[in-house]
Amino acid sequence: MENGFIILFGLTMLYLAATSRIIAHIRLLIIQGILLFLICLCGYKHTPLLNLAFLTVETLVVKSVIIPWFLYKILKKTHANRDNEANIPHFYCLVIASVILMGGFLAANYCIEPMKMISPIYFGVSAATIVISLWLITIKHKILSNVIEFITMENGIFLLSLSVAKEMPILVSLGVLLDVFIAVYILGLFVNEINKEFKDLEVSHLSELKDYEYND
Amino acid sequence: MINTILIFPVIAGLLMLIVRKRAFDNFMLNLYALLHFIITLVLTFGSHAEKFTGYFAVDGTNKLFLLILSFVFLMVTIYNNGYSKQLPVFSNIKINDKKICLYWLMTMAFVWAMTGTILSTDLGISWVFIEATTLTSAYLIYFNRTKNAIEAAWKYVFICSIGIALAFAGIIFLNISSGNINTLNYAELYSHAKSFDTLWLKLSFVFIAFGFGTKMGLAPVHFWLPDAHSESPSPISALLSATLLNSAFLVIVRVFKIMNIAQCDTYARLILMIMGILSLFVTAVFVYHIKNYKRMLAYSSIENMGILVLGTSLGPAAYYAVLLHLIGHSLAKASFFLTSGNILELFESKRIKSVSGMMSAEPKTGWLWILSFLAICAFPTSILFISEFLIIKAMIFEHRYLLCLLFIFLLTVILYGISRAVIKMVYGEVSEDKKNIIENNKQKIKVSMYIPQAIMLLIVFVLGVYIPPVLNNIIRLAVSGF
Repeated sequence: MENGFIILFGLTMLYLAATSRIIAHIRLLIIQGILLFLICLCGYKHTPLLNLAFLTVETLVVKSVIIPWFLYKILKKTHANRDNEANIPHFYCLVIASVILMGGFLAANYCIEPMKMISPIYFGVSAATIVISLWLITIKHKILSNVIEFITMENGIFLLSLSVAKEMPILVSLGVLLDVFIAVYILGLFVNEINKEFKDLEVSHLSELKDYEYND
Repeated sequence: MINTILIFPVIAGLLMLIVRKRAFDNFMLNLYALLHFIITLVLTFGSHAEKFTGYFAVDGTNKLFLLILSFVFLMVTIYNNGYSKQLPVFSNIKINDKKICLYWLMTMAFVWAMTGTILSTDLGISWVFIEATTLTSAYLIYFNRTKNAIEAAWKYVFICSIGIALAFAGIIFLNISSGNINTLNYAELYSHAKSFDTLWLKLSFVFIAFGFGTKMGLAPVHFWLPDAHSESPSPISALLSATLLNSAFLVIVRVFKIMNIAQCDTYARLILMIMGILSLFVTAVFVYHIKNYKRMLAYSSIENMGILVLGTSLGPAAYYAVLLHLIGHSLAKASFFLTSGNILELFESKRIKSVSGMMSAEPKTGWLWILSFLAICAFPTSILFISEFLIIKAMIFEHRYLLCLLFIFLLTVILYGISRAVIKMVYGEVSEDKKNIIENNKQKIKVSMYIPQAIMLLIVFVLGVYIPPVLNNIIRLAVSGF
């Protein structure tokens, strides 16, 4: 069951790579939040109630409601519906993302044999998620997409921290802090301010500061 | 003692939020700077070990870092008293009292976060505080509310968040490698480091070096640094460059020690060496054509951070030199950035082309600028001369002749790039219309905007000749932290 959810989580990354509508990306964040909640639930049969409650609030409330809601509000304000000027066509994006995901599985299963504390599937999917997200950040043009990909990367890291949660619950709590950090700062403050100043949330507008040309 | 420096800003911050009066907030920041410095002196020169809740302590390693932070903060606060009177620097948006109060509040929070990073004895806590430095300093970078400031702040937050997230992944890997130890306390990690799984430990170090290296401004993850340093108000640039980068370096040093004990140091050194050389290379390439003097200083910070990790990668022979370099760079660069704030006030431009004849227009600023330059370019008797000399000596003793040649070559290119700009700005003629602007702006520069730089430069040049035994002891203690 747990492994099924993790694989579904990995598949959401493929969907992210293959679509260009930002609203779909936001819905995907909700799905990822719910999946993470289910993964927590499966792995946490014998853990204290308090810990479980904390994780539920984090995955269901912060990841699946607050952050997507923030993003949705910004989306409505900016009317930036699509990010279709990515440097690479979607089909190739899908292929590359699939290759990375497969690479993650292979690396986890064959190359890193002595995994004592971490199950290969956890490691494979979260490593692939981090790499796919970082790569997508580099090819997308809208700031909003970049934020979404940053959050998926953070979800990948959260998944990784869940794998060691039984031994070290504090690590998961630290991961939650990272989430709060994103929610407060990147979304609440910056995207609003950038929008005020630049009218359109394109990364290309943020290229005034250079070394070779005059800027003041 | 430690609890005072950590708890005072929380209470003071709340009071500042409630009161919101310029005079009161300014007083609070000054009080904190003074308190911070006095307590730091007691902590570093006193003999007894201090602890607070098990997560914060003063040990041999962080004494020096704390001392530098505290001293630079005091100097920057003195400068700030004059500087904040004419904020903002040519921004059309009216900055009211509320914003200036927030500026002081955030400065205090920023210093608090750095203090927490330095004092923490737990990797997890260090990580949390590094995250807090991003939160607090992003507001300060964005302070001038211009288009460029937003761009710089956005890049800073975004790149550093990715770095922090990667560092977090590194911490998880470290936890996996440590097996059943389940702690992030440095002392416990050190005592068990020999039994760690080396594969995971190596993986963890890559992530941690890149994650915290982002915060430290090491190439190839330095991209936020020139933008953020050039767009933030000058006192904040000074704090960013002279203290924030050091805090991130301390975390890297602490993790590096785990690698040392676990005998994976060859690998860790290789990574640090690559990052160090890349940082020098990037600076050498970009500083040559630079058009903006604050960006030039930012690149120089990247260079010096590169020297620090390069020195660390050379092994025990260079650790002492690295720490000398750390002291020298922090003081000289803080002075350089603060002086750049004066120039910005006088000439109203960050462009190197628009600044000339500083020596005739405003000799005091001109002298500070040229002395800061001499300090940073390791002109004897600057302490940076000693540190760079010792690093080169360590390279020769380790038979790394090629590295040594490359190091000297890159340093020479950077020196040429910076000196060209500095000399152009200091000498030459001032046009008539510029003269009027400068005359008008002269009264904006208060006495408190010269004194801190003069004190810091004096220390840099004196330390090159004489290092007091007390300070020497602290440096020796810090060497054992590698």
